[in-house]
Amino acid sequence: MHAIQLRALTKRFGPVEAVRGVDLAIPRGQICGYLGPNGAGKTTTVKMAVGMLSPTSGTALIEGVDVTGQPVEAKARIGFVPETGALYENLTPREYLALIGNLYHLNTELAAERSDRFLSYFGIADAADRLMTSFSRGMRQKVLISAALIHNPSILFLDEPLAGLDANTALVLKELLRDLASRGKTVFYCSHILEVVERICDRVVIINDGQIVADGAVDELKDLTHRASLEDAFTDLTSSVDVDSIVRALSDNVTGSGRGGVS
Amino acid sequence: MGTAAQQDTNGPRGHGVDPRQLRALIAAGVRLDVRSARRRGRRSFGLPPMVSMLVTYAVIGSFLALSMLRTTDPFTFALLTLSAAMFMTAVTVIMEYSSVVVNPDDHEILSHRPVSSRTYFWAKIANLLFYVCSTALALSLPASITIGLRFGGGLPLGLAYAGLALLGCTASASLVVLLYSTAIRVFDSQRFSSAITYVHSVATLVLTFGYVLVPRMLMREGVVLEIAPGRWSWFVPPAWYAGAVAVAAGETTEQNGLLAALAVVSAAAVIAMALSLISLDYSRRISDLAAASSDVSAREDRRPVITRFGRLGRLLCRTDEERAGYDLMGRYMHRDRKLRMRVYPAFGLPLAVYLFGLVTRSLSDPFGPRVAEPGFPIQELLGFYCVFITLFFATAMTQSDQWKASWIFHAAPVRDRVAIIVGARKLVIWRYLLPFFVVLLVLMSFVIPPASAAVYLLITLLLSLLSFSLLSLASPYLPLSQSIEKTRQARQLGLVMLLGIAMGALVAIKETIREAPLPGAIAVVLLAALAALSEVALRRRLKVRLAREEFAG
Repeated sequence: MHAIQLRALTKRFGPVEAVRGVDLAIPRGQICGYLGPNGAGKTTTVKMAVGMLSPTSGTALIEGVDVTGQPVEAKARIGFVPETGALYENLTPREYLALIGNLYHLNTELAAERSDRFLSYFGIADAADRLMTSFSRGMRQKVLISAALIHNPSILFLDEPLAGLDANTALVLKELLRDLASRGKTVFYCSHILEVVERICDRVVIINDGQIVADGAVDELKDLTHRASLEDAFTDLTSSVDVDSIVRALSDNVTGSGRGGVS
Repeated sequence: MGTAAQQDTNGPRGHGVDPRQLRALIAAGVRLDVRSARRRGRRSFGLPPMVSMLVTYAVIGSFLALSMLRTTDPFTFALLTLSAAMFMTAVTVIMEYSSVVVNPDDHEILSHRPVSSRTYFWAKIANLLFYVCSTALALSLPASITIGLRFGGGLPLGLAYAGLALLGCTASASLVVLLYSTAIRVFDSQRFSSAITYVHSVATLVLTFGYVLVPRMLMREGVVLEIAPGRWSWFVPPAWYAGAVAVAAGETTEQNGLLAALAVVSAAAVIAMALSLISLDYSRRISDLAAASSDVSAREDRRPVITRFGRLGRLLCRTDEERAGYDLMGRYMHRDRKLRMRVYPAFGLPLAVYLFGLVTRSLSDPFGPRVAEPGFPIQELLGFYCVFITLFFATAMTQSDQWKASWIFHAAPVRDRVAIIVGARKLVIWRYLLPFFVVLLVLMSFVIPPASAAVYLLITLLLSLLSFSLLSLASPYLPLSQSIEKTRQARQLGLVMLLGIAMGALVAIKETIREAPLPGAIAVVLLAALAALSEVALRRRLKVRLAREEFAG
């Protein structure tokens, strides 16, 4: 049984088909990078997989459990770091993590113990009892990551998890993900940062215009496109324009060359 | 099969309501209620915002209770005070609907957690009850003390009144929830998002008729301080609760008993209907709404943006900064459903009063011969509600879900940030207030001489502009630069209720014109000068205030 299985997953917003029949099966213990240009349908796919959005058609299974049919059972197995960074800012990190612990039926003492450790490891223990209204993006991201991990989920969905994190914390998180994967956790990693994906992911899935256009190990994608880097392979698979000419046009637009720009 | 997560947990309790999750969500909700608006250390009167709102409501309740001391029986007292309490509770729920009943943050934070829709629903209901009961208690406590002392019932009567007031206010809040839930079912989720704005206005109209104007209509029949239950009582919800209060006071007539029974049965019915309608698929609806929101944004983004109002803006605004404020406000008023929801209901109030005046033929020439009218003349009530509109704009125009985007005003080399607010205010005045007054002028001209209507509305407009400046002084922020916080608007509603006495100016000027047109005209000119001066004072105050303002995102 696969840890994550998406079957013909489709989402339509009025006339716009954001995700078009995505099929994907991710085995236990794998780190799967999910890449795509802006508006390709990455976040929509993740939101359907974690039960935040209902698919227009198709199913998302978490360890064989249908997210739409049995949402509570499926969601209990998931940890999710959303791209939006939404959290209840008028709570303190300790209160927020206690709330999350309760929602996942974590033993109260265990939840308190884990939350204190997370806050300490992430270097925000001093702010544990401060309202999060004054937190920087990085501090909030640390709380969100703690909230995604506190209940020891078997599957992690991470949507741009490094946003706002300092280099040291980002490094810790990358190594943490590798370690968790070696312990059998499955990671679905959604990002624009190709270097990170190239470094930590066992497999890379590229989505463009709502459809999967490539799926394989990093080296396989390079071979497929006859490119030396994942960045070039990604550009090959998702862009139909010539990068150099776009750069020239943009630069001209900034400097006003050609059409009399702003001085 | 045991998941890794389940090894550390006590395990979920089936698919119904999960008691542990429910307790945790309620506790978090209460914390958020109490703490909201403390963002960046801002508080009102040094008190937590919800406490200051409750204090304001308690003061209003005290005024209300004291003003009803002239009533001669518990039924009349209860009818009038409960009408006001139920109306204010309903209006509060309407105004705070987006944060109290449907909170988009909840979707982002909770929808991927293993929380069943029933658990989430009951947590929201508990938070709503906490909010409604706190508001209702603050409004009704003075009346419950007064009724116990005034009519000799002592503590038992006071407690009975308080209990019935809570029941009535909860029923009235449930009615609001019911209207919205019904709208969710009638319209598909994508259309609902737009329709909800208009449901707001309709709900306001209905509530205005039901809870404020009907008792007033009864007063017009000539029975001001003693209103006996009659056939009309069956159609006026506060009268049912007043009947129950009368029973508690020892007036156990057959009609009072039946009214009391009707109060309890109707409250149970409306609360149960509200619960059953939205309990089953609450979170799915929320999810649908979020999806609809994305869709509507996508579609609206493709609409052409240059309109005749855009051209008006270019004419009205003197600087680029003013134009920026004008355009930003205009586009958000056009596209931001939540913003529309916060201001459109205000237009329903004067229109409701106008309709009431039409139906009861009580709308008369304000400058004509005096008509014997008990209570506040209907045109003054209309004028008051016109001024009231500015409150909604003054607070709503500074708030947005996307408040953090206001960093641009701090990062960009803006020479005059006050001009951005001035531009946004011009949009509100020229595109919303003035056209609304023109519509009112046309409507009123059907009933009273057009010249009288024009002069009267001119005075009201000047008062509105004056009020808009004063209220903006109390909310001196850049457009859409503050987060939408629960209780802020409700607190300001309370303040405006207290400031209703300022409408004495309208009456005074009107009476002056009626008696001596020349001094009356001078008074109008002075009022116009005062409105202009208030605008200048506002700009100066904003300049000082914005010089200190830092982006707090």
